[in-house]
Amino acid sequence: MTLRAAPQNRPEDFDLAALADGCCERLAAAYEVRGMIAPPIPLPVIEVQHEAEGVVTLWVQVPPEMVADYNPGQYFMCWNPYDATGSMGRPNYHSEKPYSVGDVKIDRSGVDERIAADTGGSGRTMLGFTVKDLGRQSGELTRMAVGDWLAVRGPFGTSFPRMNSGDRLILVSGGIGSTPMHMAALDARRKLGERLRIDAIMGFRNAVEVHYIERMDNLCDSLEITTDDGSMGTSGFPTGPLPDLLSNGHEGRTVLLTCGPEPMMKPVLQMAVDAGVECYAAMERYLPCSVAMCGLCMVGDRLTCVDGPVMEGDWLLQQADFGAAH
Amino acid sequence: MADLGVEIPGLSMANPLMLASGIQGGNAAALHRVASSGAGGLVSKSIGPVPREMYPGPVCVEAMDSVILNAMGLPNPGADKFAEVVRGEEFAKPMLVSIFGGDAEGYVEVAEKMADAGASCLELNLSCPHAKPGSRSLIIGQQPELIREVVAAVRAAVDIPIYAKLSPNTTNIVVEAEAALSAGADGLALINTVSAIEVDPFAGRPIIGNLLCGMSGPAIRPIAQRKVAEISLAMLRGELPNVPILAMGGIMTGLDVARFIMLGASAVQIGSALIWDDVDVFQGIADELSSFMEQNGYDDLASMRGIALDSLEGLS
Ligand SMILES: Cc1cc2nc3c(=O)[nH]c(=O)nc-3n(C[C@H](O)[C@H](O)[C@H](O)COP(=O)(O)O)c2cc1C
Ligand code: FES
Repeated sequence: MTLRAAPQNRPEDFDLAALADGCCERLAAAYEVRGMIAPPIPLPVIEVQHEAEGVVTLWVQVPPEMVADYNPGQYFMCWNPYDATGSMGRPNYHSEKPYSVGDVKIDRSGVDERIAADTGGSGRTMLGFTVKDLGRQSGELTRMAVGDWLAVRGPFGTSFPRMNSGDRLILVSGGIGSTPMHMAALDARRKLGERLRIDAIMGFRNAVEVHYIERMDNLCDSLEITTDDGSMGTSGFPTGPLPDLLSNGHEGRTVLLTCGPEPMMKPVLQMAVDAGVECYAAMERYLPCSVAMCGLCMVGDRLTCVDGPVMEGDWLLQQADFGAAH
Repeated sequence: MADLGVEIPGLSMANPLMLASGIQGGNAAALHRVASSGAGGLVSKSIGPVPREMYPGPVCVEAMDSVILNAMGLPNPGADKFAEVVRGEEFAKPMLVSIFGGDAEGYVEVAEKMADAGASCLELNLSCPHAKPGSRSLIIGQQPELIREVVAAVRAAVDIPIYAKLSPNTTNIVVEAEAALSAGADGLALINTVSAIEVDPFAGRPIIGNLLCGMSGPAIRPIAQRKVAEISLAMLRGELPNVPILAMGGIMTGLDVARFIMLGASAVQIGSALIWDDVDVFQGIADELSSFMEQNGYDDLASMRGIALDSLEGLS
């Protein structure tokens, strides 16, 4: 069955910008109620940005206050209600999954600059979700096109700790764990400018999947790339260059944040804890419901969806069920 | 201090607040987490004969204020795996094990495994379709003859108390209650979710992955109260044996608990409220209930039970 509301069935002269504006207004109304959108709200994808092979960023238009309130580490549930043929199937494969926000921007294309200046500057506030082809569901998302529906709800969960002037941030990512690390760097720079040091290590399997380098390079004081196979940057895992960063004495508070597969995060956190560095991980678990109902996201005695995804490194290291691949 | 204690077949609890089936309770870690809260008792996720996967998402959403919609698809680890939990874990609170099956044999298989593992009582989730050809669109709980068949089979197979969990999606719930009790159930639990659907007008399709869903949360509380009242009144009239009722549907506060107790419930279950406050809801509700009872001079739950039925008796 193909349905009229499936993007594939829209008329030729369809006005996507008008639809995006309408959906954005609807999102704003839902968001106003409690600073969170509870049901999934479909938004048309405005732009699909190629990042690397099998890695794309899907841009959707959202109200500016949502971006202003967003705390890095938090996640949204993202869902594609239609498959590539415009049918929804039952059961469909496009099960909803959690994604961290990867990037934000204000799109001024189509804005009359003179009017924009008069009204204090306007444009479309855009949220970017970066997805990697990891399987059936995220694979579908990487093949989405401009105009397709991406239904989102959130933001959910805990966020990274507040940084202060004079602090130092160490960011360690593995694979698509790059996205919350980028938001942490972006947020810290916006709030503190140059009054904080940011050092980052980004680990990838190989050169082909390397992404977000330019974004991170613009924000960080130092950036090290590692690939498992040595096809780019330093050969090996992100734990390779980490001891140097940890021993590089910084006066004042140092905070390490990490996101990636658990077998990568575990040694990273261990090294930080051993060096006496405050550390947190953004957990990448499959969260079936995201609202504390299913009970299938336990780590130790916590639910990842509400007590996480950001959790303290020293606590995680004590949990027997932390550190395996998921 | 008001006495919140509850003594009913298979369950001895410090307060009447139980976790509702399907909320978090499908594994040992999650059950321990709830057990360490202010809850008086636990109900496990409904356990079937074999492991089941979750439906495609979205599986559970807050569709609007006070309205929770879900279609999880009864994901559960299966009877063998869960029997290990029942056998091996010592929970800080008593646990009612919820079970389901495709037919009477399915229920019996799970019931026997749970009883062998040491379960102290069972809740039969009757809100699932029967495997029998031709009855696909109806759930067992909508067909009194199937309720009778399932309950009687489980009754014959195990000695522990059984509670039949009823669906509200029927014409006259007293008929389904009668079927369960005449077949040997020791108590009733109600209500399960109200059948529902929600369409997103932009996407032009239902917002739940499974399309069809069940509704719960505060919006269904008055419906649940009506169903409990109908059964309690039938008990008063002598049409049903007087058995404990585990009531649920949209409970958020201590006053909501008092409402159900006043309509004849012995204990209550709480599910959707955890969306907003997670397991902390239990202690909050217990404190509210206790201070409400003190304010109003109720010493224990028995002194409140059924008092709202007095005004309804003339209606029957
Ligand atoms: C996410 C979710 C999953 C549920 N799963 C089950 C289940 O496995 N077995 C069952 O008997 N009831 C299940 N229910 C129904 C609840 O146990 C309860 O009857 C209903 O939600 C009404 O109570 P509430 O308004 O407090 O949630 C589920 C409800 C929800 C919201
Ligand atoms: S994802 Fe369902 S309880 Fe956390």
